[in-house]
Amino acid sequence: MIPPMFRDAIIFAALLSMLSTSLTLTYMTTKVPNFAHGNFATIGIYMTLLLAKVLKLNVYFTLIPSLIVGGVVALILYLFVLKPLMDRGANYITLMIATIAYDMILFSFLNIFADYLTRTFKIPARLFILKSLDFRVMGQPGLFIIAPLLAVISVISFYLLLNKTKFGIAMRAAIENPSLASVVGINVNLTYAVSWFISGGLAGLAGALTPLLITCDTNTGMTLIVHIFAASIVGGLTNIYGAFFGGLLIGLAERLGTGYLSLQVGTWIIAYRSIIPLAFMVVTLLFAPKGLTSIPWKKILRRR
Amino acid sequence: MALPVALTFLIDLLALLGIFAIISLSLNIEFGYTGIPNFGKLLAVAGGAFFVGAVPGRILAYVYNALDNLDYIRDTNLVMTNINRILSTDVLSSITLLILSLLGAAFIGAILGFIASYPAIRLREDYLAITLLAMAEILVMIGRNYEDLIGGTRGVAIPDPFRWVGGEWRFVAATCTILVVLLLILFYVESISRSPLGRTLRAIRDDEISAEVFGKDVVKIRMKVLMVGSSIAAVGGALSAFLSGSVVAAGFTRVTHTFWPWVMVIIGGAANNFGVLLGSALFVTLRKVITFYKDVFKPFLPFDVVWLEYLLLGIILIIVLIYRPEGIIPEKPSRTLSRRELDQIMRELKLKTAK
Repeated sequence: MIPPMFRDAIIFAALLSMLSTSLTLTYMTTKVPNFAHGNFATIGIYMTLLLAKVLKLNVYFTLIPSLIVGGVVALILYLFVLKPLMDRGANYITLMIATIAYDMILFSFLNIFADYLTRTFKIPARLFILKSLDFRVMGQPGLFIIAPLLAVISVISFYLLLNKTKFGIAMRAAIENPSLASVVGINVNLTYAVSWFISGGLAGLAGALTPLLITCDTNTGMTLIVHIFAASIVGGLTNIYGAFFGGLLIGLAERLGTGYLSLQVGTWIIAYRSIIPLAFMVVTLLFAPKGLTSIPWKKILRRR
Repeated sequence: MALPVALTFLIDLLALLGIFAIISLSLNIEFGYTGIPNFGKLLAVAGGAFFVGAVPGRILAYVYNALDNLDYIRDTNLVMTNINRILSTDVLSSITLLILSLLGAAFIGAILGFIASYPAIRLREDYLAITLLAMAEILVMIGRNYEDLIGGTRGVAIPDPFRWVGGEWRFVAATCTILVVLLLILFYVESISRSPLGRTLRAIRDDEISAEVFGKDVVKIRMKVLMVGSSIAAVGGALSAFLSGSVVAAGFTRVTHTFWPWVMVIIGGAANNFGVLLGSALFVTLRKVITFYKDVFKPFLPFDVVWLEYLLLGIILIIVLIYRPEGIIPEKPSRTLSRRELDQIMRELKLKTAK
């Protein structure tokens, strides 16, 4: 029997690591800290609500549509907002502000959509949780299998894409040195656009599973974005696998840490739960400013 | 005595404009002139407001003996009714309260700015933006959950230094105070930007290494700029608390107190104080007009009109960023000499070339 606290922690960590991995991908390719990433996940959340509650489909049918819609929304951000700005030589602060502006637009659409769902179909579109729609395997929710599985599959496919396919190698070249890559005939713009699509798609996928775990609202993504950044920074912001482990670490630390502390010092600590990832991030930045992956682990291990 | 509707609208507008202009001007010193991407503006604003919520009321309650068996947080309304009854007849204490609270808020802001400067002088810029944002989130989270500070989710009432003016005229008095403070701050930041210090700040923004080569202590200057900027923002937060007469932690969010000032600075024109003023005016007026006409649209739309506001702001911001990244009033080159001296030099040059 697995205690529910531990189970929820693993699911949350898996979802968070999918989100931080995808955030890191676009940071690596286009050097944009994307503040709209949280709302890509919220789009997935509302896709699930739409398909499961309005169209009465199985909740897991939402995965593919969420992936596509999330990807398209991210692609629009890149093609119609960031690309024109980058062509005009905008610096990273301008790009960051632009993602915040896009985030506001997404937030407004999500709220309009939520209001529309509530008024037209009379379903609760705010503060909802769809835990009861999940299937159960041996007394455990199906999400306990699906979420970690998807997280592992996504990181393995990232590895295969970046190391074993021609397109992935071209993408790595475009990350390392865009001008040199374009000299040897790599379509840098295409690799960037694809990276945005993958990033948004993966965020939408992770978001689609979120209502099966926690109570969701239109601002869930805006709350999560700080955690996603924390996870990604702990991993070093420029390393996909680092971001994956950062997500696992932050997710487990937040859930298990507060769970453990609430048993020790009292339940009042649960209200401060979100401080754990932020504190983790600040400490990491002060002692290893380039993230955990920048620490020369091999050297440290060899010395022993 | 009730005020006419148009005047209420104008007073509301000016008060909001004043508060947001103060916050945006502080961001303009940090980002516009010095180039520090302060995405934690909320930290200082909330710090100032929380200070006003937590400290002056407690001191007054102690001085006036207004507590008698009441709990400061739980019975906040009763305690404040007692305090405000005394304040409403005591003009001198009211004004002292206002000035001391603003100074205290500025001091708290400076401390928060000092704390924020710790990462600000060590981290690369994109990490820095996110760290400052996270620090602000932590402060607001504490405000929201630690009830003994400012009452958690329910908030606290604060002593009202404008009560002696009487009735609805207190809003007029509060607005005038805000505008006076705004003018003082505008004068201060404008004189900084015209001084040699202002040129040093721009040098640090444009090329840190060459500023260092010329003997400028970049680390110390960035630290000072963050402290000054944060104390100005904290005064803005304190004024907004005095205007509404209460402090609720939930009223301070990343969107309203960090992103909106950023929007104002970017739309108006970074590194130009009057541009930032114009940006704040446009932003606040637009929001006010949308909320004013909200009820007109209501029957036609199947959703809350508030969300259109976000949509509109996002689109305007992206258009400005793409087509006019320098803002409506762009930065002007700083004049190192007065115009008279410049003309003198030009005339001499012309004479020389004529020879």
